[in-house]
Amino acid sequence: MTRPVLLPVLLLAGIAVIGGGSDVRAQSNGGGRALAPGVKVEVAPAPGSGSSPAAGKVDETALRYYARIGDGERLEAEIARLRALDPGWEPPKDLFAPQPTAAGVDETPFWTLLSAGKVAEARAAIAEQRRKSPSWQPSDKLLQELDLAESAGRIRSASDTKRWQEVIDAAAAQPEAVACNRLDNAWRLAEAYAELKQTDRAFDAYKTIVTTCPKAKERRDTIFKASRYLSPERLRELSALGATANPATGEDYSTVRSAEAELETGRLLERLGNAKPGALSAADLSRVQGIVRDKQDADGAIALGWYFQKQKNFTEAQSWFSQANGWAPSDKAAEGLVLAYNGMGDKAQARAAAAPWKGKSSRIDQALKAVDPPRGPSGGGRSAPQGPSELDQALARHDFAGCIAIIRSTIARSGPTAALLQQRGWCLLELKRPSEAEASFAEAQTLAAREPAPKAAPAPAKGGASTGGKAGDRSPSAAGLPQTATPAQENAYGQAIARLATGDVTGLTRDLPRTNLTPAQRAEIRASLMATEAGRALEDKRYRDVLRLLDARKELEPEPRNLGILRGWALYNLMRYDEAYAQFKSIDDRLSTEDSREGLTTAWKTIYHEW
Amino acid sequence: MTPPIGSSRRAVLFGAASFGLAASLPGSLRAAPFDAAAWRRYAERFLLPEGRIVDTGNKGISHSEGQGYGMLLAVAGGDRAAFDRLWGWTQRVLMVRGDGLTAWRWTPDGGVADHNNASDGDMLIAWALLRAAEAWQAEAYRTAAIAIVKALAAGLLVEHAGLTVLLPGRDGFRKGDTLVLNPSYWIFPAIRAFAALPGGERWSKLAESGLVLLSKARFGSFQLPPDWMTLDASGTVGIADGFKKQYGYDAVRVPLYLALDGYRDPYYFRPFATLATHFGGKAVPATVSLPGGTTTQVAASVGMLAVYRLACRLAGIGGGDAVTVPPLAPDEDYYSTTLTHFSALAAQSLGIDP
Repeated sequence: MTRPVLLPVLLLAGIAVIGGGSDVRAQSNGGGRALAPGVKVEVAPAPGSGSSPAAGKVDETALRYYARIGDGERLEAEIARLRALDPGWEPPKDLFAPQPTAAGVDETPFWTLLSAGKVAEARAAIAEQRRKSPSWQPSDKLLQELDLAESAGRIRSASDTKRWQEVIDAAAAQPEAVACNRLDNAWRLAEAYAELKQTDRAFDAYKTIVTTCPKAKERRDTIFKASRYLSPERLRELSALGATANPATGEDYSTVRSAEAELETGRLLERLGNAKPGALSAADLSRVQGIVRDKQDADGAIALGWYFQKQKNFTEAQSWFSQANGWAPSDKAAEGLVLAYNGMGDKAQARAAAAPWKGKSSRIDQALKAVDPPRGPSGGGRSAPQGPSELDQALARHDFAGCIAIIRSTIARSGPTAALLQQRGWCLLELKRPSEAEASFAEAQTLAAREPAPKAAPAPAKGGASTGGKAGDRSPSAAGLPQTATPAQENAYGQAIARLATGDVTGLTRDLPRTNLTPAQRAEIRASLMATEAGRALEDKRYRDVLRLLDARKELEPEPRNLGILRGWALYNLMRYDEAYAQFKSIDDRLSTEDSREGLTTAWKTIYHEW
Repeated sequence: MTPPIGSSRRAVLFGAASFGLAASLPGSLRAAPFDAAAWRRYAERFLLPEGRIVDTGNKGISHSEGQGYGMLLAVAGGDRAAFDRLWGWTQRVLMVRGDGLTAWRWTPDGGVADHNNASDGDMLIAWALLRAAEAWQAEAYRTAAIAIVKALAAGLLVEHAGLTVLLPGRDGFRKGDTLVLNPSYWIFPAIRAFAALPGGERWSKLAESGLVLLSKARFGSFQLPPDWMTLDASGTVGIADGFKKQYGYDAVRVPLYLALDGYRDPYYFRPFATLATHFGGKAVPATVSLPGGTTTQVAASVGMLAVYRLACRLAGIGGGDAVTVPPLAPDEDYYSTTLTHFSALAAQSLGIDP
């Protein structure tokens, strides 16, 4: 079968030649004709065919239009279509000759409007023409293309306004509007079924796409789209179909099959993060381990490390953190490694793992406190016993609720200390309770001012996981000279992080210069502020500001993934589509998620006009 | 916002129309041609001696639209005396704004009840004056018409989103960047007459934009235009808030005015024909909510059915008998009767009916 014609592309091909007036650029070139560099159309008329009398049988309007504007691809498709209608038909010999208008009305202006996406204007112009020439009728092809464009628009607007039944009705009335060349609309149809809980029909719609649309990339994107609505079992079925059904030559469908695995990894890693020990089946666990290993995914390995660490399976945890550190060295991986070795009782190895980051990463410095618990008035004032305290153990497990409970009972038993309150602040932050955290840090500061002996009461460990993404990763590159924070600085830092988490950007920006912080801490807070500002700038559509802020931030810290996505959208909105595409692509190549895929697909469609 | 001519009024108007009346009558009746006799019957029922048309379905009030329709039908019926009475009352009673436009609404109890104008009423009056000037070779009518057209162009024609559009009234139809428009205020034959006047280019643009907007303003499963629509700065069309979100008593005139101006592209008549044939051409609902598609229990009046028959013929849907139009009842109200006569005039001018 022929490919249905894609309208938006028409204009692109059309502009150049229409601009040249009636100058027909086609040149005789053997049996073929060069319309544009790289475009060649075979026109081999059969003897005695193709002149005007034969034209009565088939509608050659569109054919001549494509020839005139030099759209080779669509010209070919139209020739194929007409041949399918009438096997005896041959393209006219005079296809590229300037044509006198047939019935007194030249359809070119209507086609031009249609090509420019001005469907309503085309309709208006046709109505006016029909008023002036009542005997004239537009060609069937023109009317079909108009109907098709309108249906496609209707499907889009009905879907945008969540009128799902209308999406389905419009698609039923004009099935061509949801064909492969209008993939976006085909997705919208499937989505409409899914939203109306007609899951079988949604599945069928996705199935039609992955079994009939030839491009591997389209099939792969369809699997990702479908993942929102279909069960893992049906997704597996869909991927299998998409990887095998109706293959086109030159397409590599292995990416279709792997799409399902990538989705699975994402789902499993997410569950891993929240999982209680043993929550994942052995099969799931082994699947995710296999995938993480295959992709050498350091983030995935760290997630697996914590999964085992929480189960006190320190050996397994150590091996995953070590793996992660091998694939991509980071203080995050090293932190896990330190705590895993510590759990195994191997303090020497723990210290060795910390060595490259010691004094450069607060994350590591704090993890080390679990290895060598500081002596002094912390933890209720007793001297540290052999091995880590109950609180340190809770922190090493990332058990922040436990941290709060232990501190509460310690305070109830022997009263509050600045160090305990500060630790409570960190644990509250981890639990995403920033207002309480800020209050706790403030209390700690007040208490510290009253506490008699400031003799090196070092800050206790704060939680290892990233603080809600807002503070970003502590990275050694941000620090100038390593400088250990004083308890006062640590308190001020905790408050700043908490204020970031509550969204108090204005207040924090105002107070930052007067806040007692180490240079590293200050840089980190500034970087976070800039990230937040960049987010706001994007919301306000100040795209140049987004880039300016992100560039400035990059001087302080490497750009994390979420800000990379932000950068991509800023580029996209500045119509720097190629750069946006490259940006999304580099992120997606590292780890494909819904965010990165959305950016990638949007940029790609814009560049290739595939809306 | 001043309530303009519109949906609330018409909803009252047809509240009493009997459902299923059409179904009980024999089909295939031809529309009676509009002639001098038809005009006399119309004048007997709706024209008062002082020169105002009574909206019998709406507590006996009068309005600029009714005056305009009356003046047009008087010209078509060749009754200059009646025309002069209508025009005299209009000038005396409604043209009290001082800007050359008419106050749209007058009640027997309170006189002018709303000083805002209704652009369609002004257009109908100006168009009637132009036709009278031609019919009776009277330059004074033409001069008066030109003054109204100029006032309309100055105060109501605006350029928005690259389109020339007509505000429904002087006051109250702008909401920030968005305009509230009424598709049935595009009285195409009147616009064409105005475009032919010296300096009438903007009116040509208004006609063009009307066709564009009617292609865009298609909602719900029948793809009908709303009685009241919005046009935002990007050219996107929507269904206006603050009015009933429906197709109904106003928008039914859209195909009528297109036909009256000689348009015959089936595309523009299909939504109305599809609606009518969906209900078997008989008990067609008077209104359809948009975009949802809920229909009212109130049936379309005789005049609305006359419009639907015309639309079906031009859309080429259902053949000539797609819609059964019963004869006008003795107490048929002003709006239904008026639509019936204008449908006949349109069919005559298109050569569909004698």
